[in-house]
Amino acid sequence: MKIIYTDALIVGGGLAGLRSAIAVRDKGLETIVLSMVPVKRSHSAAAQGGMQASLGNATKGEGDNEDVHFADTVKGSDWGCDQEVARMFVTTAPKAIRELASWGVPWTRIKKGDREVIINGQKETITERDEAHGLINARDFGGTKKWRTCYTADATGHTMLYAVANEALKRNIEIRDRKEAISIIHEGDRCLGVVVRDLISGELCAYVAKGTMIATGGYGRIYKQSTNAIICKGIGTAMALQTGIVQLGNMEAVQFHPTPIVPSGILLTEGCRGDGGVLRDKDGYRFMPDYEPEKKELASRDVVSRRMVEHIRKGKGVSSPYGDHLWLDISILGREHIEKNLRDIQDISITFNGIDPADEGSKGWMPVLPMQHYSMGGIRVKPTGESTTMRGLFSAGEAACWDLHGFNRLGGNSVSEAVVAGMIVGEYFADYCKNTHLQSHTETIQNALEGQYEYLKTILTYNGSHNIFAIKEQMRNVMQEKVGIFRNGKDLNEAVVELEILLKQTREITVNDKSMGNNPELNEAYRVPMMLKLALCVAKGALERTESRGAHYREDFPKRDDANWLKRTIATWQNHEDTVPTLSYEEISIDTMELPPAFRGYGRKDALIPHPFTQNRETQIEKLKEQMGDVDRFEIQEALMPFELPNGYKDKNERIGEKNG
Amino acid sequence: MGDALNQKENQEQTFRTIEISVFRYNPYSKHSKPRFETYSLSETPSMTLYIALSKIWATMDHHVSFDFVCRAGICGSCAMVINGKPRLACKTRTEEFLDGKITLMPLPTFKHIKDLQVDTGSWMNAMSQKVESWIHTKEKTDISKIEKRVEPDVAQAVFELDRCIECGICLASCSTRIMRESFIGAVGLSRVARFAIDPHDERTDADYYELVGDDDGIFGCMSLMGCEDHCPKELPLQTKIAYMRRKLVSQAIKS
Amino acid sequence: MNKAEIYEFLTSRNKQKKKSRTPARLDAIQSATGAILALFIVFHLIFESSILLGKEAMYRLTKFFEADFIFEGGEPLIISALAFVVFVVFVLHALIAMRKFPASYREYRRYQTHRHLLVHNDTNLWFIQITTGFMMFFLGSIHLYTMMMQPSKIGPFASADRIFSDGMWPMYLMLLVSVVLHAGIGVYRLIIKWGVFDGVQPQQNRLLAKKIIKWLIVFYLALGAVSLVTYIKIGYEHQEHYGERYHKGVKE
Repeated sequence: MKIIYTDALIVGGGLAGLRSAIAVRDKGLETIVLSMVPVKRSHSAAAQGGMQASLGNATKGEGDNEDVHFADTVKGSDWGCDQEVARMFVTTAPKAIRELASWGVPWTRIKKGDREVIINGQKETITERDEAHGLINARDFGGTKKWRTCYTADATGHTMLYAVANEALKRNIEIRDRKEAISIIHEGDRCLGVVVRDLISGELCAYVAKGTMIATGGYGRIYKQSTNAIICKGIGTAMALQTGIVQLGNMEAVQFHPTPIVPSGILLTEGCRGDGGVLRDKDGYRFMPDYEPEKKELASRDVVSRRMVEHIRKGKGVSSPYGDHLWLDISILGREHIEKNLRDIQDISITFNGIDPADEGSKGWMPVLPMQHYSMGGIRVKPTGESTTMRGLFSAGEAACWDLHGFNRLGGNSVSEAVVAGMIVGEYFADYCKNTHLQSHTETIQNALEGQYEYLKTILTYNGSHNIFAIKEQMRNVMQEKVGIFRNGKDLNEAVVELEILLKQTREITVNDKSMGNNPELNEAYRVPMMLKLALCVAKGALERTESRGAHYREDFPKRDDANWLKRTIATWQNHEDTVPTLSYEEISIDTMELPPAFRGYGRKDALIPHPFTQNRETQIEKLKEQMGDVDRFEIQEALMPFELPNGYKDKNERIGEKNG
Repeated sequence: MGDALNQKENQEQTFRTIEISVFRYNPYSKHSKPRFETYSLSETPSMTLYIALSKIWATMDHHVSFDFVCRAGICGSCAMVINGKPRLACKTRTEEFLDGKITLMPLPTFKHIKDLQVDTGSWMNAMSQKVESWIHTKEKTDISKIEKRVEPDVAQAVFELDRCIECGICLASCSTRIMRESFIGAVGLSRVARFAIDPHDERTDADYYELVGDDDGIFGCMSLMGCEDHCPKELPLQTKIAYMRRKLVSQAIKS
Repeated sequence: MNKAEIYEFLTSRNKQKKKSRTPARLDAIQSATGAILALFIVFHLIFESSILLGKEAMYRLTKFFEADFIFEGGEPLIISALAFVVFVVFVLHALIAMRKFPASYREYRRYQTHRHLLVHNDTNLWFIQITTGFMMFFLGSIHLYTMMMQPSKIGPFASADRIFSDGMWPMYLMLLVSVVLHAGIGVYRLIIKWGVFDGVQPQQNRLLAKKIIKWLIVFYLALGAVSLVTYIKIGYEHQEHYGERYHKGVKE
């Protein structure tokens, strides 16, 4: 079994991992990126909608800046996010998009003059400014004050990923695909690298580095129904958890999207409803106005998802071999509109379901069901991206709980976070690697390698009656039914118990194929227990959190409880034999907030238990602003909540028509 | 309980049974010999080959290997030969095969890993490096300043070619590539065209000639059109290869 | 030994570390010679079919090409020269195009298996092209050699005797099929290769080009076949007088 040494090791080849690799390589460090799949196949490619960055180029984005983006993000997070990180993020996002433009991402550009758009189902004409001609365009997305989401047609994530991956190739960054990291090598609280399994030969290998970064994305596949790619199993997160030292943050914060298509789970963009599409039940009845008379289908993602499930529970779902679902009807928009503005939705629907959504009447209705979409939780890291408890271990992107999204992520902030975190965390990571010396830990490394080899061997010797595939299916069902959109103490309790049983059963299986090589059965046998541990973190975290915040909704505790729950859930897996995680909490201090907790502006207004300090902080902020008098927004911001950024990322972003840019 | 089960069975009986034959071979195993394994399963409405293969793997044969990632037709992992044609398995619905018989083979011209898995990643990375698939510019971008302007139509044209998902289908559909493995194929040639029309890239035709100006590159293409006719993203490969050919031939004649 | 060649042999680059421009030229020459030959065939087959308008028409056309308006009674050497020029283009085309042929049994086998799996029209067309191309190495050479050496033996009776009594008609039949298919498919491929009709709707244009070419192939095959039958018929009727030449005004 080989040991490979490098300066910087990055596990995961999506946007966050590759962008970090570039940051490290540009500081002259030897860098290896490991990926389960060819990096350009990473789930980053699936982002269709776009990337949020406050460029303010488009007419509908005029007046946009970091402050507006910041406020949107914090409100979206239901005040669960780390505001310092949010500030770092919004300040860097415009730079990220401009860097990507220079790397060739063919962002859709603004054409000066009039163009017709549809807002709330109504045709409207907007006029793009002459001085904006040729600059990056933006579209409207949920939860944002301005049109801020920059895009390349319907393939934003794809073009971003390709540009970044090609830049990595340009720098001769070593990219090794079909390699799966399965365990972290550490000595005490110091990370040394990872044990890696080659998915072609099955060979185990230790990768040892000055610094290790995990950028392996989300864990959506612990749910039965998810829009995530099938590689999004959270193995990187689980491997961190298994150290017993690394903390995971807010694992119960899981986002559900209202309209993935059934059964494939492929997303149908929010634009369907934005343009006037409606949701119907098995009787063809439009039910959303009954629940949300004001916003109807266009309430926020979590609200619409909840209402849909509520309606299905009333027996109004359409039954199908793939379970109950509802209909999304865009046929009412007319064929012309669909073929012009929702062409890709039409393509998906025809390809995967044989339904042309432009066909009139019920023939064109598309089967939809809310499904898991995004993991806000992950490896808890400091604003520098380094693990709160393990030195030399960094994390970025969806795998991390950097905490930009709190309990709800805004659309367009995911790929944006991935790249921005790659830039910022990549920079801190590079500094760490540069200032660290590789010491000899041969024994630890050798033990880790052998330990993993023995573990896999042991799995092959299991002789039990259970089937790992059945266990996985049960886990995914439990998560779907009991730790889903609506949560309650009873179900969550049951879920934890059932998941614990399943976790024990993973050692009572039989693997038929005894090969240590390319063995897809063995893959499942070591992955499913890891997934189960994450599932337990989600379920247990959700059980303990007796409030509703963002995407976490407790039927038995429907209010956001700032008084008791303005804190982050921290999960660790203390002992190898444990069947549940150990939970603790990290306070989110109001005293340092730039934007103290308040009503989000959407959802139920009365569902809020305020924190006693909120008022204090508000007054404090008012006073400070008054004292400072007539100064620009940057000075006020700096006074309220100072933050740092590396590599000139704090420079002011230039905008057309903004003098102080 | 019994009733419910019967009902379920009755429901399933209304679906036809399909037969999927899968090429099985593990070149890394001494004992493995190439063969086809046939699986019969009940077809469900709007079943794709992703659903069918996942079902086979989870319930019938845990050892069959294949690749899916996005299962939405955007990542290019699941390209395979389906009844003779290279296609994306996730976008292929079983109902289109009227006789219910489907034969699956791995993509040719790539290194075979196991069963339906091939190594496209290494080849595609090498291709990207060969054609230097990145922006070449001497200009230093200040990312806090307003971005360089690009005509909307030009950005759109670049995007059209940037849609390539490196699935490898163009190579597997190309007889030239099948015969001559050093041929870079439509994916490489259209990539060069993509940068040739990108205003950010300062490379000249002479530079591009150095990358693909030989029989492994643009002059290897015999216009057999397998690439364009099978491309799952429907990229304008025909016109872009012709565009590069004209550019590079005129460059050669001028020099 | 030429130093430049040595450099390229060892580095695949010339002295300036640049790639050879020869592949580009070869590609252009292959297309250009192909286009010239196709154009030649288009007219050749039309002229040859003048026999359908009668012996007199064919005779006059022959004499016209022998430039009887300058040299009295015509000068067959002109035909010889023309045949020579065509032969040179022909050999050049064959030489360059040959580099695309399957170069080994392995390549051939892989192509065959692949095309049988793929069932793709354009890929199959290429098989016709290499087959007909290969046949024409011989058939084309025979015909062109005859024309160079016996340029005077063109005429309603002379040609018919050659076709029928000299037993050349099977060769001409094969040549006709080869040349029309090869030229037709070749032109279609030229259109795609250089993007001649790309325009706004390149895919539709391609289909249109394919359709037109298909009909042209049918037309030329029919025209050639009817002409050939006509010569055979004349040859058959003329076998008793083998060798006698047609003269202006001779009654049929």
